[in-house]
Amino acid sequence: MKSLEELDKLRDRLQQEMKIRDKDYDVAITVSMGTCGIAAGAREIVKALLEELKQQGLNNVALTQTSCVGLCQHEPLLEVTRGSEKTTYVNVDQEMAKEIVRKHLVEGTIVKDWTAPKK
Amino acid sequence: MEELSQHLLDVAVNSLEAGATEITININENMRANTLQIEVTDNGPGITKADIARVKDPFYTTKNNKRVGLGIPLFMEAVERCGGSFDIQAQSQQGTVVTATFPHNHLDRVPLGDVAGTLITLLAANDFDFQYCHRYNDKSFYFNTRDFRVLLRDIPVKTPEIMVWLKNYLHNNIMELRRGKKVEEFRRTG
Repeated sequence: MKSLEELDKLRDRLQQEMKIRDKDYDVAITVSMGTCGIAAGAREIVKALLEELKQQGLNNVALTQTSCVGLCQHEPLLEVTRGSEKTTYVNVDQEMAKEIVRKHLVEGTIVKDWTAPKK
Repeated sequence: MEELSQHLLDVAVNSLEAGATEITININENMRANTLQIEVTDNGPGITKADIARVKDPFYTTKNNKRVGLGIPLFMEAVERCGGSFDIQAQSQQGTVVTATFPHNHLDRVPLGDVAGTLITLLAANDFDFQYCHRYNDKSFYFNTRDFRVLLRDIPVKTPEIMVWLKNYLHNNIMELRRGKKVEEFRRTG
């Protein structure tokens, strides 16, 4: 059972850790969360992203949502923004979401195979 | 949608996109009355009488770049499939209330599903506060983000490790609350 005493310990540990490494990653992940995105599984993607961000210790990635972007057939869909560079990943599943965090956010390489097809 | 909690996510996203900063989510399960009710109240700009009728039309949307608005029609479909009732009301001052009531034991009632995941997803991607109250017969579970922020002191709620902890905390409490089911209730779990 996850209890509130446990939260106290977790908070104290995070306070210590954040003092040590407080890097600014300047990266944002946007998950498309219109009705189409939600029906396709956007929520499972957000959960997978949170798990992997925790795993990698990335505390400063901005996670946001957007409404339908007009690519309903490619949902679930997410966008990684680093500075002025924007990458859209399509038909993402939970494993892919985690891989995107590891490859794109940690190593800095775009996973080209999964990006949006050029119009 | 496979779960009622996905409809819940959709309705709450509507609220946030309309500018709400506070959302109250009530889930009431009453086995004696055989009802499962989901009620979402926000403090957004509210909804006009004309729009209440029109949002039920899948080809109506308030967004300029779109031609369809399927959120409410799909939710209503899930309600009507099992003979429940659905209601949207504007509050007198500001805000909107969406209420969906289902016959709890109906075979075609969609399972409630992962409510904890829905709440976490909302919180991870938005800046807002919510209250969550889940009643199951005589028992209840209550959570609100304001008190939680106080407990965290200077650690942001959106810290991934906090979000994962909270997901488990909510999940366990909601599971615990709903565990009192009899076998025949459990078969229609969710």
